[in-house]
Amino acid sequence: MQPIDLDPAQPRRDFLKKLSAASLAALMARAPRAAAAEAVHQPTATADACILLWMGGGMAAPDTFDPKAYQPFVKGAPVAKMLSTFPAINTAVDSIKICQGLENIAKVMDRATLIRSAVQPDLGSILHSRHQYHWHTGYVPPQTVAAPHLGAWMAKVLGPRNPVIPAFINIGQRLEGVGESEELKAFTTGGFFGSEFGPMSLPFPEDAMLAVRPPKGMDPGRFANRQAFFKKLVDQNPHRDLMSDYQQQSMLRALENAHRLLSSPEAKVFDLGLETKETREAYGNTRFGQGCLLARNLVEHGARFVEVTTEYVPFLHWDTHADGHSVMEQMHREIDSPIARLILDLEERKLLDRTLVVIASEFSRDALIEGVPGSNAQDQSNAKSDTLEEPKHYGLHRHFTGGTSVVMFGGGMKRGFVYGATADERPLIAIKNPVSISDLHATIFTAMGISPKTMYEIEQRPFYATLDAKGVAIKDVFAAG
Amino acid sequence: MNLPNPNFSLVFLRRLVSGMALVSPLAAPLEAADFVHEVVPILKQHCAECHTDMKQKGGLSFNTEESFRKGSKNGPILDTAHPEKSLILKVIVSEDEEERMPPKGARLSAKEVGLLRDWVVSGAKWEPGFAFKKPPYEPPLRPRSPVLPAALGNRSNPIDRIIDHYLAEKKLPSPAPLDDAAFLRRVHIDLIGLLPDVGELRAFLADPAADKRARVVDALLANKTAYAEHWLSFWNDLLRNDYVGTGYIDGGRKQISAWLYQALRDNMPYDEFVRQLVAPSPATEGFANGIKWRGSISAGQIPAMQYAQSVGQAFLGINLKCASCHDSFIDRWKLSETYGLAAIFSDEPLEIVRCDKPTGKPAVPGWLFPELGTVDVTRPKAERLKQLAALITDPKNGRTPRTITNRLWQRLMGRGVVHPVDAMQSAPWSEDLLDLLGSHLTENHYDLKQTLRLICLSQAYQSKAESFSELPQEGRYVYQGPRPKRLTAEELTDAIWQICGSAPAKFDAPVTRQTSGEGAAAKPPMVRAALLQSDLLMRTLGRPNREQIVTTRPLDLTTLEAMDLNNGAILDSRLAEGAQALVARKFASSAALVSYLWQAALAREPGADELQAAVALLGEKPAVSAIQDLLWGVLMLPEFQIIR
Repeated sequence: MQPIDLDPAQPRRDFLKKLSAASLAALMARAPRAAAAEAVHQPTATADACILLWMGGGMAAPDTFDPKAYQPFVKGAPVAKMLSTFPAINTAVDSIKICQGLENIAKVMDRATLIRSAVQPDLGSILHSRHQYHWHTGYVPPQTVAAPHLGAWMAKVLGPRNPVIPAFINIGQRLEGVGESEELKAFTTGGFFGSEFGPMSLPFPEDAMLAVRPPKGMDPGRFANRQAFFKKLVDQNPHRDLMSDYQQQSMLRALENAHRLLSSPEAKVFDLGLETKETREAYGNTRFGQGCLLARNLVEHGARFVEVTTEYVPFLHWDTHADGHSVMEQMHREIDSPIARLILDLEERKLLDRTLVVIASEFSRDALIEGVPGSNAQDQSNAKSDTLEEPKHYGLHRHFTGGTSVVMFGGGMKRGFVYGATADERPLIAIKNPVSISDLHATIFTAMGISPKTMYEIEQRPFYATLDAKGVAIKDVFAAG
Repeated sequence: MNLPNPNFSLVFLRRLVSGMALVSPLAAPLEAADFVHEVVPILKQHCAECHTDMKQKGGLSFNTEESFRKGSKNGPILDTAHPEKSLILKVIVSEDEEERMPPKGARLSAKEVGLLRDWVVSGAKWEPGFAFKKPPYEPPLRPRSPVLPAALGNRSNPIDRIIDHYLAEKKLPSPAPLDDAAFLRRVHIDLIGLLPDVGELRAFLADPAADKRARVVDALLANKTAYAEHWLSFWNDLLRNDYVGTGYIDGGRKQISAWLYQALRDNMPYDEFVRQLVAPSPATEGFANGIKWRGSISAGQIPAMQYAQSVGQAFLGINLKCASCHDSFIDRWKLSETYGLAAIFSDEPLEIVRCDKPTGKPAVPGWLFPELGTVDVTRPKAERLKQLAALITDPKNGRTPRTITNRLWQRLMGRGVVHPVDAMQSAPWSEDLLDLLGSHLTENHYDLKQTLRLICLSQAYQSKAESFSELPQEGRYVYQGPRPKRLTAEELTDAIWQICGSAPAKFDAPVTRQTSGEGAAAKPPMVRAALLQSDLLMRTLGRPNREQIVTTRPLDLTTLEAMDLNNGAILDSRLAEGAQALVARKFASSAALVSYLWQAALAREPGADELQAAVALLGEKPAVSAIQDLLWGVLMLPEFQIIR
């Protein structure tokens, strides 16, 4: 399949051409309105698309991108000494070490800016979804209005790059039948921007095609026939006086746009079945891996913002509360090849320069040193020991917000660059250039050409892209200063 | 801009003359520029964009004399000792890029600079009371029964008397009346959320009686179960009650479903309804207690503050969310007032926290409109809440009935008399109408069904909805008839089940449903979507996540929603079940099925070409899949989804 011709400089114009003016007016006229008087200077974008690789559940930095003193499992070893449970390995950049298990990513670290000093406020010790809400919206829950997701901001401010590929696509996270699903839904949303800017959710990348295909069991002929019948009914409708009615036209337009996507050639982009076996295997036989492959294809064909998650499910994946070390080995395997492959594929397709890829998580982890009498953290392990006794206690289990790693590739970021640092002794807090969620978002928004001060009004009050418009992009991480 | 009074220039002139008389004859009296006619236009043209209303660039606001004299973050812009050295005069002529004002665009003309200079040097006199910022409309608190204009012809419903007069004053025509079928469909959906069934439709159309519309309205309002199960969604949204969601599992939140359902079924008087929520019992405390969030939260979200916000928004149309962190920028409410309301509810003394920084000041329990009375802070919590509930529902408090009747008006007529419905401090488009609705409710013992009845029986309600080719500007709203509405997620779902007879047997809401009919024939009425947990389809169609109070549903169909309607698994299976159920009904012919569907869904017979197209789709022996596609085609029609 050939990449379509996209003009990143003129996404709106392209959008206009393909969508009719009436529905565009509907899009723009919708409340909340942008405050017109306060002209916000929008920065020049260094990226047209963004892929967020979400390590849901709390990715321990000392066992991934910020190795510290390695402590192998030794019965009786003091927990206080356990900083990393994996030894450090070399990467393509001499000065950068990451953890064993990430050998493929190590090879592409020369394309990366590694922020080691991301910090989050502590919203309570056991609250993944609240931290995830904060990370994804920039606002600490609860909010009195529904805060839009990062992707919704991009959809709202920038719109789609290709009108038949939804601007905000969310891959890999189930919102039904998993723990904390209501909490996940609360931030996986367009928020007060409305559902036009909300995510297209594709929890199973291999089934993504179903979302852009006629309903199950309906062959293309029947689907087309149904549409033709509908058009006939619209044309024959006796209420001729409503032919130019705004609401009627806007509804018909939405239905038409939807049908156009469902029957457009781009719908194939969602079909991983069209990829070779070799390619699919290169991305790993996991939902995350296949999600990365799907993200690659979607960005290639004009997606604006794609999130791919390892999926947050309480106590699974990065949410290690026991057996941390061995779970971490699995997680390394799950992300290592797909991420490296994604970066190389984007580069080969000359897309990496204008695609910002971000690896992030709601917080980091530390060795369990609080599972002691008097602790009321009920979700923690019951180990009441200061020494390592059992393998299941070997690993980083405790939530830690003082120093988290974020990796950014492409999209105008420096290459082979490390920003910030954490302490080498416990507590492993950011000791140089701490980066708040607001500033991290400001950096991502700025790369995408969105001012961190961008504001929309809701319930007559301003709501900014970053908290109180105070996010400041980290200048140092941009290649062009 | 707001001129203080019509004789303004006269007053000003007089003042100017008397002022000049005091000027020493030694100082040559300056020809002071006329503030209103000369200075204000200059300030308005060159400065207002950044320095009035909510904008205060550089900390400088021209909104009032006080703010103007206070100056910017760089200090006063007027130099009282040496007026000619005033900053304001310097920046308007400065060539310095950093300093010049306005920072971009055209400079002040030499004449304008001169006028401003004269004005500043002569003391920069400000017309007392003049303000650039429109003083916010402050709605009256007391109830008022408006004097009704004379009825036009037989249009004697008080709503019509007011609206007919309003339209005549604006020289606008009355909207065209609604025909019987359209009326029946609209009133069914509005009052009980269901379509009229084919039998009801035929009987109604055939009925020659003059009072048939009133009888339908009364019959619908008397259908307790259908009424309760329709309005349940409205109240769940408004009281943020749901069957699943944040907090329910771990005890941080409690449903009020059982109580709410019964209250709606019994048509509990609204004042009593509010009292039971404001001063709660175990059955209603879920509303008052809000959501107990796990972990640390912003000071503005502690349960007592949630209580203040919820009570303010739901019952009084006051947004206290801004004033939960700081004094509101958008209305008159202060941080201390939100804390005052919260402190009535709080078990512990509260300290006022401003933007998450403790102020050291204790919150003084108090209620928002002290002119109506106060809460005795020395009493225990339960009594304080009872006193608060009494104040909110005091017959002298017009705000409470105005707020709820405005919501009902919005639901039925598509747009509030005050818009948006949660900003009751805004000016209504008709004070008389708003006051009529409010006092009518009070006079009718807070019976909300009486309000609905009054509206539904008006010619205003029984008129065609407005149609416009472009989305109108809200700021210039003029009433010209009801606004079109869109079927809600629940209404659309119910409609499918109703047309096809394919509603599920089970539901999620913990409520007790009554059966209808007698003895062996007794069966519960159709399960309604409002009784079910939200699903992806309903969420997509706008059923809100009820963590926050959400009082209006989206009007537009978005492309993502449209995709879901095109290929979503839930709609697909609902339609498949529906088609199956229709097959089981064994219609005599495809034409008979088509005729039924058009009447059930659109309240009319199909036209000849519609019938032909539909029969062609079905064939003589229609397959389930063909019926399903037929259903889809009809249900996607704007005529079906937009209520006019």
